[in-house]
Amino acid sequence: MVSLLEMPQAVSKSPTRDAAQLPAQQNDTAMIEIDRVKFAYGTNTVLHDVTLNVPPKAVTAFIGPSGCGKTTLLRCINRMNDLVDGAAITQGAIRIQGTDINTPGLDVVELRRRVGMVFQKSNPFPKSIYDNIAYGLRIAGVTKRSLIDEAVEKSLRASALWDEVKDRLNVSGYGLSGGQQQRLCIARALAVEPEIILMDEPCSALDPIATAKVEELIHHLKQHYTIVIVTHNMQQAGRVSDNTAFFYLGRLIEFADTRKIFSNPSQKQTEDYITGRFG
Amino acid sequence: MTSVRPHLRRSRIIERIAFWAFRIATYIVLAFATYIFLDIGIKGARTVFTTTAPFVNTTFLFDRPQTLYVFEHEGQKMTLGDTDFRAWKETHGEPAVDPTTVAYSAGGIWPCIVGTALLVVGSMVLALFVGISSAIYLSEYSRNGRFIKLVRIAILNLAGVPSIVFGLFGFGLFVIFFGWNVSLLAGWFTLGLMILPAIITASEESLRAVPQGLREGSLALGATKWQTIRKNVLPYALPGILTSSILGIARVAGETAPIMFTAAYAMRDEMPWQVSRASDFVFQGVMALPYHIYVVSSKIPQNEYTERVQYGAAFVFLALVMLIALTSIVLREKSRSRLSW
Amino acid sequence: MPVLAESPPMVPPRTRSLVSTSGAEQAIKAFFGGNALVALLVLALITVFLFREGFGFFGQNLNNLRLYRSAGLEYVDFIRVEAEKHSELTRALNDLRLRQFQKMQIEGVAPEQANASLATFDEFATAFSDTSEPLNGLVSDLSEQASALKEQLFAQAEAGATAGAPPVERDAALAVLRAGTQQYDQAVSGVSTGVDQLLSTAPPLPEAKLQQTFDKWKQRARDYVAQLPAAGEKLRAWSPDTPVPWYRAISAFLFGHDWITASFWQDWYGIRPLLVGSIMVSLVALFFAVPLGVASAVYVSEIASRHEKRIIKPYIEFISAIPSVVLGFFGIAVVGTAVRAISELPMFSWVSFFPISERLNVFTAGLLLALMAVPTIFTLAEDALRNVPRGFKEASYALGANRLQTIARVLVPASLSGIVSAILLGLGRVIGETMVVLLCAGNRIDIPDFTQGLGAFFQPVHTMTGIIAQEMGEVVRGSIHYRALFMVGLVLFTITLLINYFAQKLVARYRMSIG
Repeated sequence: MVSLLEMPQAVSKSPTRDAAQLPAQQNDTAMIEIDRVKFAYGTNTVLHDVTLNVPPKAVTAFIGPSGCGKTTLLRCINRMNDLVDGAAITQGAIRIQGTDINTPGLDVVELRRRVGMVFQKSNPFPKSIYDNIAYGLRIAGVTKRSLIDEAVEKSLRASALWDEVKDRLNVSGYGLSGGQQQRLCIARALAVEPEIILMDEPCSALDPIATAKVEELIHHLKQHYTIVIVTHNMQQAGRVSDNTAFFYLGRLIEFADTRKIFSNPSQKQTEDYITGRFG
Repeated sequence: MTSVRPHLRRSRIIERIAFWAFRIATYIVLAFATYIFLDIGIKGARTVFTTTAPFVNTTFLFDRPQTLYVFEHEGQKMTLGDTDFRAWKETHGEPAVDPTTVAYSAGGIWPCIVGTALLVVGSMVLALFVGISSAIYLSEYSRNGRFIKLVRIAILNLAGVPSIVFGLFGFGLFVIFFGWNVSLLAGWFTLGLMILPAIITASEESLRAVPQGLREGSLALGATKWQTIRKNVLPYALPGILTSSILGIARVAGETAPIMFTAAYAMRDEMPWQVSRASDFVFQGVMALPYHIYVVSSKIPQNEYTERVQYGAAFVFLALVMLIALTSIVLREKSRSRLSW
Repeated sequence: MPVLAESPPMVPPRTRSLVSTSGAEQAIKAFFGGNALVALLVLALITVFLFREGFGFFGQNLNNLRLYRSAGLEYVDFIRVEAEKHSELTRALNDLRLRQFQKMQIEGVAPEQANASLATFDEFATAFSDTSEPLNGLVSDLSEQASALKEQLFAQAEAGATAGAPPVERDAALAVLRAGTQQYDQAVSGVSTGVDQLLSTAPPLPEAKLQQTFDKWKQRARDYVAQLPAAGEKLRAWSPDTPVPWYRAISAFLFGHDWITASFWQDWYGIRPLLVGSIMVSLVALFFAVPLGVASAVYVSEIASRHEKRIIKPYIEFISAIPSVVLGFFGIAVVGTAVRAISELPMFSWVSFFPISERLNVFTAGLLLALMAVPTIFTLAEDALRNVPRGFKEASYALGANRLQTIARVLVPASLSGIVSAILLGLGRVIGETMVVLLCAGNRIDIPDFTQGLGAFFQPVHTMTGIIAQEMGEVVRGSIHYRALFMVGLVLFTITLLINYFAQKLVARYRMSIG
């Protein structure tokens, strides 16, 4: 049985990344290495030979037209695709800090604790706001009330929700607005202190004001977390991400610094997509 | 627009007539059912309730069935139960004319109530345990392959198999093949199996109604599968499971066909706890309310002496089953308004 | 924005070892899987067991049928059929007399006078009845011989090849039996001369219409006499050693029109009377339940006020919880008597088969079963109607259709497969119902007399479910009767499975098309 705890910890302690640095191709600075991954739903291959290194403590955006495989790739990173029947990586590997996450016997639960996820459709549990956030801690075996209280406040502050909900922590998470619900889900993910946060179109169901708040939140979070975000919204990718990967028909077309992708893409397809000629 | 065109007026009249026809059809059903409730309610209440304290007929509810003796004594018509008749004979000697006897018509139905309760509890424990576990497996653990799909269809279809077929099966397998004879155990298994497909189907439906997002959200936070099921799926599926279980109780309690040759006796003098060895408990047959109603409505004539036990037993049984069903319906309405996604 | 990294990690390193957690998860999964497996196995076992116990029936039934032939029972039954046809003619005569008598009563003729005027007819009837004497005598003599032989053969088969079992003089016994052919020919000539004589001296009936019937009867009697020698040919052609083909065991079960058990003569296990009974009861039930169920579904989903809806819907669902044995009791105590009382009302005297003689009959049982089927049909049909997309309805209103037109032309067609599957499931419930038919269908194992037209629906029948409930408690395990009941159960099982399967298929298709 292999535990992620046994992974080399040196990488995560690496100094904060210089914003101007290009996407690291050297493995020693990559948080997530996606290495020639091929992925299929049954006989239907949806990802072809994707290779990509996600740098730590930065925001990496996956963009591309619908059905290009970006969400599928995202869900591979915390093995959420295990829930889908017949779906599997047929070739290649995904490594987090050097450990292949598909190693037989690897503890998926531990993996998911370290790789948090925020879903496209906000999915608070039908519990109180407090219990929503405490959920992750409780299942991890934290029982001390004071610790949980502290973590709830900290996560809610970190997701910029604290001031809005501090007086009604006991009301149902369903009572919040759409944007608040999504930030609650982010807070919930933060509470278990992951190292990586995966976001699957987190703003697609939100109005512009709520979107702005979530984007601001993402901007702050990247100081401490490695964030991968899937988005349909090009402006959003431009605003929040440091690096951008463009996918098309299951292939990675281009992966580069966001500014470069948006100002001077090296591939014709990327340019066509970004300038709105298709997609 | 001052005048309505004639064909519009005609269609309006037709519409009104048709709506009345629908309304009448609906109310015929309601009236028929209401008539049954009232007939059994009124005639049964005469047996079950009394005008003096404690206002319920304790003899009828808490005594065993006895044979009724009807005879004339000094110009007076006497109607006495078995026990009373024997006591009467002690003091008066044999009556001049041989008394007319009517089976089951004196005394009460206590052993039947107890028997039905025992049957229901045992079979529901069995069915709920296996049924809910199976539903959890099918909904949460199993991969959605062709085999599981087949299993699901099979279970769904078995839910519609007539109860008499389960009775036949129970009789052949438990009573004869396993040699359990007519016993509580055979009844539990037969009734439990009969209700099992319905419990599995309903529980699985409730589990599947819990949105996938809740599961994914929980798993993404590093919960194990079991933690996710226990904390984030079962609690929300529980109202649905509970409702269908209670409906299952109503069905198990109400069925006669499966127990008539696996668990039920027409007449038994001992109460279920009067067994010499504890192990005999599960191997004894019991009296059961539905079977008793069958017996008293088909094996003894309809007359002034039998009406008491016939309507009384039907009333008690109907009231019990309806109470259970009502609980289930009320619970469902409540949970429907509370939980919605 | 506070800085997260400043505080120590909140989630403590996991204290439980990963291996054991995983092991526990596996164990939990195995637990649920095990339960599912048990459930599955047991449910599969039901099917297997039904088949196992049921299929043995055919072998035993084949032996039963072979014994019937080899012991000469079949031979005797050829003659018995003729004797029975004769007594049927006698019954028709008596019936004729009864009708004439009733007619006279209505016309105000005193009973004594009526009897007197019918004296010659009575004489004729008695004389006709007597002509069958030689036939009846022959049948009862031969029956005894054949029964004895059957018993011996049966005992021999039971004892098997064990030594000491006395050899059965089968050939000798059969030879004695077959001497019956000559006796039959003699009896036939006696009957035909007797009947011919009688017919020429038949007295007239006062009522013209009845006289017509009587003339028809005379023709029947002549036909009867004319076909008597044919049976003689059958007797001659009969051989006890003609093999009974294997498929007779199956066809005798599926198409046989007699269900006779524990008989001293010959047991027959033909499912047809039971099947016909079940189907007739279900037809009556659906006849009432389909219009009422569908109409109330339409009413509740489209017409009723919200207030009405809130009461009617749970109430109808509530009806489905009424235990069937209570309904059956209600049928015996109230409905049966009421149905007969209604049939005796003068306002229904124009109905040819009224007043009915049996209060427990197809109609009584069907009426009560209808009440059981209505909630099933109502709930599912209402569901189907409610799930028709709002857009359909709105589009129809926008085109100026009124509510009735929208219901009839948009809503009902759109939900039709849902409604049909509701009806199918209602049928499944009705055909598998036991207690109501056991208590209220009259339990006469006979195919009703369809010459009465709709009157057949007022005759008692027995059903597949009823026969199992009634006879299962008394059979010996492994006996042919026991296995025959399992076969009936298997037929029932198959029918309901098929009904359910098609209902579910329809629902699935309906869900897809509405999507």
